[in-house]
Amino acid sequence: MLETWGLLLGGLAAASEPAILIAIMVGAIIGLFIGALPGLGPTAGVAILLPVAVSFDGTAAIAALGAVYYGAQYGGAVTAILLGIPGDASATMTVIDGYQMAKRGKAGVALGISVAASFVGGLIGLALLTAFATTIAKAAIAFGPIEMTALMIFSLSLVSVLGGSDPIKAFISLFLGVWIGTIGLDPILGLPRFDFGDVRLFDGIEFSIIAVGLFGLAEMLATPAMSETAVSTKLRFRDLLPRLSDTLRCWRELVSGSLIGFFVGVLPGAGATAATMIAYAFAKRQSKHPETFGDGAMEGVAAPEAANNAASYGSMIPMFALGIPGSGTTAILMGGLLMIGLQPGPMLFATQPDFVWAVFGSFYIGNLALVAITIVLTPLLAACAFLRPGYLYPVVIAIVIYGIFSINYSMFDVALAIGFGVVGYVMAKLGYPPVPLVLGMILGPLLERGIRRTLVASQGDLSVFFKSPIALAIIAVTLALFIVPWLLKRRARAKAASVIAAGA
Amino acid sequence: MEDHISSTVGGITRRSVARTAVAILAVAAGLGLAGAQAAYPDKTFQYVVQSGVGGGSDILARTLAKILHDEKLVPVNMLVENRPGGSGAIAYNFIAGQKANPYVLGGVGVSFFTTPLLGKMTVSYKDFTPLAAIARSPYILAVRADSPIKSVEDIKKHPGLTTGTVGAVSDPALLATMTSQQLGTEIRVVPYDGEGEVLAAMLGGHIDLVYGNPNEILEQVKAGVLRPLAVSSPERMLSLPNVPTFKEQGYDIVHTQLRGIVMPKGVPPEAIAYWEGILKKVAEGDAWKTQYIQRFNEEPIFLDSVEFGKQMDVTSARYEKLMKELKLIK
Repeated sequence: MLETWGLLLGGLAAASEPAILIAIMVGAIIGLFIGALPGLGPTAGVAILLPVAVSFDGTAAIAALGAVYYGAQYGGAVTAILLGIPGDASATMTVIDGYQMAKRGKAGVALGISVAASFVGGLIGLALLTAFATTIAKAAIAFGPIEMTALMIFSLSLVSVLGGSDPIKAFISLFLGVWIGTIGLDPILGLPRFDFGDVRLFDGIEFSIIAVGLFGLAEMLATPAMSETAVSTKLRFRDLLPRLSDTLRCWRELVSGSLIGFFVGVLPGAGATAATMIAYAFAKRQSKHPETFGDGAMEGVAAPEAANNAASYGSMIPMFALGIPGSGTTAILMGGLLMIGLQPGPMLFATQPDFVWAVFGSFYIGNLALVAITIVLTPLLAACAFLRPGYLYPVVIAIVIYGIFSINYSMFDVALAIGFGVVGYVMAKLGYPPVPLVLGMILGPLLERGIRRTLVASQGDLSVFFKSPIALAIIAVTLALFIVPWLLKRRARAKAASVIAAGA
Repeated sequence: MEDHISSTVGGITRRSVARTAVAILAVAAGLGLAGAQAAYPDKTFQYVVQSGVGGGSDILARTLAKILHDEKLVPVNMLVENRPGGSGAIAYNFIAGQKANPYVLGGVGVSFFTTPLLGKMTVSYKDFTPLAAIARSPYILAVRADSPIKSVEDIKKHPGLTTGTVGAVSDPALLATMTSQQLGTEIRVVPYDGEGEVLAAMLGGHIDLVYGNPNEILEQVKAGVLRPLAVSSPERMLSLPNVPTFKEQGYDIVHTQLRGIVMPKGVPPEAIAYWEGILKKVAEGDAWKTQYIQRFNEEPIFLDSVEFGKQMDVTSARYEKLMKELKLIK
């Protein structure tokens, strides 16, 4: 243990070399801006910079790519809060309360919380990564298709906790998302499904397209239809500033979000999105005012933001310790390691300790730098929330359309995004929440893979699902999720009625 | 359409259209007389990768581009461009569509054969010109170090073993079917989304066997986590001299992944000859050995256009047979 921190100190010293500091700063700033562009997230950021970064010296290259990764996480919250467009699937939960806060003129507070959450989540994630990388990696791979199936059933059930006015509509939206997730080549046999005879749908529909359409374009279509006074936004400079007291008030959500994010993020394939959902639901369950969630609750920003940042370090564990990429972004990072001539895997810590510790050191420095940068930028960014839609939206629409086009250089993608804009508009008018759709689209395919892989291996024998203790435990918690509230509601109906009366 | 343009913008457009037409004709004539002018190559090459940045095909392309540039093997640049999507269809449709254009190149991956076989593309592997293969990646069959299976023969004693593969149709899936048939047993093939996931499932004990590229497996073998049982190349691997081939153990299983480069159909023979020469120099040079072969633990090889073309026929036929067995196609 003590030895680990000694190695880290050495790494911090190595990462303080001017060349590496420059690489960190460049990577962090580029990541921040790519993350803040609607529709582009950390995966796109790392992919864009990879060909350039590998021409640097080894440590600097990975320090820069890592900085792009966590920089984009910081930046992703910016678009989620200011425009309501998640730049990456893991920022979807941030939209729920963050965007509501911005609409109410509290953009600065929301951004401040997200920076604090990113920092705390990053720090806790990093500390756990530094201390337990190899131990945790071994536990993480115990999660196979059976356990993944259980975890996904649990995550999807959390839609019931996310609430909203109408749970039925939330679940309809979720199932629509699960269906969208099945579009493309079937993950098990490779046969095309719902491709409408078009090869361009073979790889499914890109997350950014859905995010930009459903959240961005739909909102921008809906706004002109609303009356000018619907949202009261009185510009006060004080509201542009992040406040330390708010951050301290959310400390519980920050810590629980970070821990959940880290441990779910470690699981190969589960990813940060499931982590943000669980963190949000947990925060809501623990909260004394669950009714404020979804309506601009600070805790609703703190929990998922802490979770997705912690998850980004969690997902690096399988890569560094086992040579297995735990997420789309780490798969590209691993390509970077290979291109600079390093073989990620169980031997990396033993054969390249200087490199690994210098990279870890660079992560700490990068996180500190990002807090400084984002706090300085917060008032400026928050002011965007007060721009009149007439000025703001044309610019945003141009950027998002360009962003979508740049992913595959495809006008088809642009048309799809506009199509989802219309779908999102109709859903908003009919009161269907868009968030469950995105979650269904991201998690549904993971559920399908879990079930089908299990059944291929067991030759259709369903009893294997009940032979895994981890899976059984998760299923038990899922059942409790539905039964306990129902029991509580029955027992405390009278009490609840009096509380509501008092509250009103 | 043209009338509309000229009526709105006037004579300038019409003149520039005419000028462009003349230029196109000149270029076309120039290509026709490529031999006479001997100017090939005189513009930037475009290497289209069918997957995203950082994957195996992308790394191959970028390493090749770097070596061509560093060693000044070609007088012009080669730009690597990623056109992922459609399970390879986007990139391969694009390359095939550049018919007779000797400035477009691409790499051969599994989807090069399988996506056209699904019948959803208008092109097939026959719409490309093979240039050369410059590396070969055998597959290593391995088990966990604590597995009771000590040899290929032992697989028979444990019916219903599972293996992981990237997608239903892949080289490891092909090898698993071959092994099942040769041993007269059944190996269940569980499809995953990437090599990393397969390895995670293997290390976590969720599958029993893995057929992997040396690049993925050797590191785990060195760490004492996995135990190799056989290699799928015709001869033993340089990096694993103690591991026998399937052939040596009496099984008729030889299948390797060739790292080959193609161009669209109909390119002039001079272009093929030119690239055969360049790629031979690359394959036999030190830069390729240190920056690709050794780094990724692959085997050095050079196949010219004709030989590589023959291998493409064999590979496509194998995939077709497997896909029929899986009832993916009729």
